[in-house]
Amino acid sequence: METLQKFCLSLLVTLLLFSCNKDNKEASLKSLKFSQKHYQGTKINLNALAKAIELDATNEDPWREYSIPFLKRGIPHIWKKNMDKAIELNAKEWQGYRGYNYLWFYRDYKKAIADFNALDTITPNFIDAPQGHSVNYWRGIAYLGLNDYKNSIYYFDKYIAKETKDTGEDWVEMTAFLYKGIAHYENRNDSLALQSINKLLKYTNSTYADGNYYKALILEKRNNHDEALKLIDLAITNYKEGYYNNRPYVETLRQIYMEDLLLIKERLNKK
Amino acid sequence: MNTKKILKIIAWIFSALVLVVLCFYAYYNYLLKHQHIPNNGEVSHSADYIDPKKALLNEGFKVCNENFIVQYYNPETATYSEGKNGLRKFVLSNYKNNNYTDSGYLNIRFVINCKGEAGRYIIHENNLDLEPHNFDKDLVSQLFKITAQLKKWNPNFVHDEYRDSYMYISYRIENGNITEILP
Repeated sequence: METLQKFCLSLLVTLLLFSCNKDNKEASLKSLKFSQKHYQGTKINLNALAKAIELDATNEDPWREYSIPFLKRGIPHIWKKNMDKAIELNAKEWQGYRGYNYLWFYRDYKKAIADFNALDTITPNFIDAPQGHSVNYWRGIAYLGLNDYKNSIYYFDKYIAKETKDTGEDWVEMTAFLYKGIAHYENRNDSLALQSINKLLKYTNSTYADGNYYKALILEKRNNHDEALKLIDLAITNYKEGYYNNRPYVETLRQIYMEDLLLIKERLNKK
Repeated sequence: MNTKKILKIIAWIFSALVLVVLCFYAYYNYLLKHQHIPNNGEVSHSADYIDPKKALLNEGFKVCNENFIVQYYNPETATYSEGKNGLRKFVLSNYKNNNYTDSGYLNIRFVINCKGEAGRYIIHENNLDLEPHNFDKDLVSQLFKITAQLKKWNPNFVHDEYRDSYMYISYRIENGNITEILP
């Protein structure tokens, strides 16, 4: 009889806990949804996210969403604390994304690569695409940031080969050709750099300032100053029309500016 | 009962109904907002907020609209008047590594007002693992002075007007050397 009483009591407690837990999870999702109706980083948005976390700390979404406004506003320690928590709860989903953040917002190339590599370990035989691009593409950029040209080119080649096989070369992210070209150029291999830059210009109908800029630099080195000057003029037009490599929130890697183009033009005009 | 009286009654009923609806709406909104505030402490400000009382070089600095300070990247990036290259050149040519051994991120946040003036600075110091860390005081003081000398900015332009915006400069430092200037 006593055992039966104990059993019933335990069952009741378990059911109650389960029901509270379920209620909290639902309430947490409601707070998360409410937060998403308000501009990121506002007081009301942050409070709703904090409430969502308070109600259910096992859901990674509010942790991650709480971190983002601090990433974009230059407050790293708050970003880090919350982003790490999201990864602790769901590394498969967010470790690549943290790598992307390390790459662009902190220029911490080693930490970015470590995150992309960790993601490979979590999802063997699968190429993840945090923020819409293959980890191999991101790794190519990160290694270029470290001036490790060999690895940078290796990962760009890997990315381009896979994309070309799966969907066709015209589906390759065009900046992969640009950055691969830059890696070859900085590694003093102008012929291979030109091959890659020509690919970039092919897929942008020659209307891309960075492509024309690097091609002009290579032609200048080959003493083809007239052609280089034409390309720089074209690059200036492209730049004015907004066709150049840039990204939101932060300066992109190896970003060029109008003054860089004008400087080359001035130099070429003197030759 | 004449028409005038009937209309008067209808107007009263209508007004009462509108009042009830408004009260209900206000109460609903109160409940809605209240239910999304954490019990373990309300977040008191937006993520970007810089307390003018605690900020550096806030005296004499005026924003155009205290209630509408946008982010530097919305919709177009608020920029330094001499461009990113100009900013980099100014900072790097003035900064001197006085045998500092620090590594980490020294982030200086501030406000660019609608006239393109900078003020209301706050400093965040973190190590390379993005944990709070105190840098050499001389390094902080030197970089702050240099940053505060970046006077002329292109203000943000939103909804047909120049606006105040929050801005930040992040210095990645390795062994006392500036290796990156972001964003």
